[in-house]
Amino acid sequence: MSLISLNDLTRRYPRGVTALDGLTLDLEPGIIGLVGANGAGKSTLIKILLGLLPPTSGEATVMDLDVRTEGTTIRQFVGYMPEYDCLPPDTSATDFVTHMARMSGLPSAAARERTAEVLRHVGLYEERYRAIGGYSTGMKQRVKLAQALVHDPRLLLLDEPTNGLDPAGRDEMLALVRRTGTEFGIAVVVASHLLGEIERVCDFLVAIDAGHLLRAAPLGTFTERTGVLAVEVEEGEAELTAALLARGLQAVADGRTVLLDVTEDRQYDLVRDAVADLGLPLVRMEQRRQSLEDLFRDDAPGSAVPSGAPSAAPLVGPPPAPPAAPPAASVGGGGPA
Amino acid sequence: MSASGPGGSIFDLGYQSYTGPRLGRQSAVRALFSQTVRSCFGIGRGGRAKIAPFTLAAIAILPAALAVGFAAIAAQAGPGGAVIENASPIRYESYHGLVSVLIMLFCAAQAPELFGRDQRYGTLPLYFSRVLTRVDYSLAKVLGLMVALFAVDVTPYLILFIGRVLVAPDPATGLADEIAMVPRFLLQAVLVAGLLGGIAALIAAWTPRRAYATAAIIAVFIIPPIILAIIYEQSGQELARATILFSPADVLAGTNAAIFGSIPDSPVVAAVDLPGWAYVGAAAIGIVATIGLTVRRYLRIAA
Repeated sequence: MSLISLNDLTRRYPRGVTALDGLTLDLEPGIIGLVGANGAGKSTLIKILLGLLPPTSGEATVMDLDVRTEGTTIRQFVGYMPEYDCLPPDTSATDFVTHMARMSGLPSAAARERTAEVLRHVGLYEERYRAIGGYSTGMKQRVKLAQALVHDPRLLLLDEPTNGLDPAGRDEMLALVRRTGTEFGIAVVVASHLLGEIERVCDFLVAIDAGHLLRAAPLGTFTERTGVLAVEVEEGEAELTAALLARGLQAVADGRTVLLDVTEDRQYDLVRDAVADLGLPLVRMEQRRQSLEDLFRDDAPGSAVPSGAPSAAPLVGPPPAPPAAPPAASVGGGGPA
Repeated sequence: MSASGPGGSIFDLGYQSYTGPRLGRQSAVRALFSQTVRSCFGIGRGGRAKIAPFTLAAIAILPAALAVGFAAIAAQAGPGGAVIENASPIRYESYHGLVSVLIMLFCAAQAPELFGRDQRYGTLPLYFSRVLTRVDYSLAKVLGLMVALFAVDVTPYLILFIGRVLVAPDPATGLADEIAMVPRFLLQAVLVAGLLGGIAALIAAWTPRRAYATAAIIAVFIIPPIILAIIYEQSGQELARATILFSPADVLAGTNAAIFGSIPDSPVVAAVDLPGWAYVGAAAIGIVATIGLTVRRYLRIAA
């Protein structure tokens, strides 16, 4: 059974905005990351998968059910966690999640049992009897996850589940998402604009940009090619670049940072020696996460990316990390195809 | 997984899949409907939410209880009782005038809560991503409000009816005398609950801000009769007759007079002299239109 199958799926909004453009995709159950910048079409895709928004053209099936005609059946087996605030502040988590379980068609006693079960799973204990208005953002996100899980869906659609969370809250939420996908045996689609975050929980990554499919592949094939080392020095980056080139390394200066392709451990020693020989004040050396677009551009035959087009600005980057320089990415994989 | 200690063991059973029944869309709609009716009376919403609905319902019932008392005294008084009985201002035909303001206040208090909350707090996407559809959701809410209003409106009539049957010298003849009133007050209560509930639902669905919705609902019932009275004073019967069916409060005063065959409480309704079926028809159209427009609102709302 295929979990989600899209065939030339297109969605245009009335005022001529094309949110999704000819998406063709076949996804197996697992934890699937859906990455793209804000406005790339992630939320539109989720709404189509829920059967809430009809495709303009093309086909989409969820668990082999057509989203156009079998939306109600699909929604019985799908849980949805929206991006934005959706909780009434004057209700307790228990009452609210129980009500939502009833709205999914569970009998009343089962709704209460399932509510107790999922609230425990997302880590809400005594506080579940208090009004949601007094909860922290992290607790609210847990309630949102709980209401999506309460009817034991076969597929969970999470739209930006770490929205508004602090780093510790993000870690907890991501761990919860990971656990849901692995231990609970529920297929998960996590939409996020943060690649750095999403790659920590997913097995499979789907990247979309401006409604086009950039790439869909198992996560492993992305992380294999992240061998870019960033060396940040307080001064003397030109000398360092020259020294590294002289040692046979492909190095490119980018501001105070020198980016180079590292394929074997021995090369770290060369970098260390070069810095030491020049007596440069070294700030840091780090494995650099490439910007999302670069990551997908490297060798994605047949993908919709105009290869080598310099036009697009870096699509997405993990915000806390410094943005990688677009031209430097060609260091990473021998140049765009 | 288990953690053992001297006091015993804690077992983490892990995630349990749900294998019980999934009752689907119908069950969800029924649950939403009954939750709506209950929350109209503040049930499941904490103590403070119960104050307004129960106070209004108690005030609505009070005259009926008094009227039963009157009837009991009249029955005790023997032959002179008919005089006391006829002097009582609380009768089936006059009850609408006594309770319609309370029903309106009930609408103004509860409809904004029913229709505004899910919009204000962004909860609608959670409903629409489940088994029920937008039409299901809006119908369950509108009909839930109407049923709650019907209960508040019909209870005093029932008290009046049962009380009068019981205090009659012979309950059997009492029943025979009173039974003809039952379909009449049922119809009037259906029209009141339907029209006031429908209008309140439509306004509240369009006005997520609670205070504005409350004010708008009160205005729609209070202001048109005033304008109509001014129209009648200034330009006479013709224009008043042409516009009276746009005033919900006057339409219901008209249906009441038509259904019970009584003189209307409102002087304008009495003066325009429209046939009774016009009011009943206007109320019926109003009910269908407000339900339809409320559903349409939910079909188009972004969520």
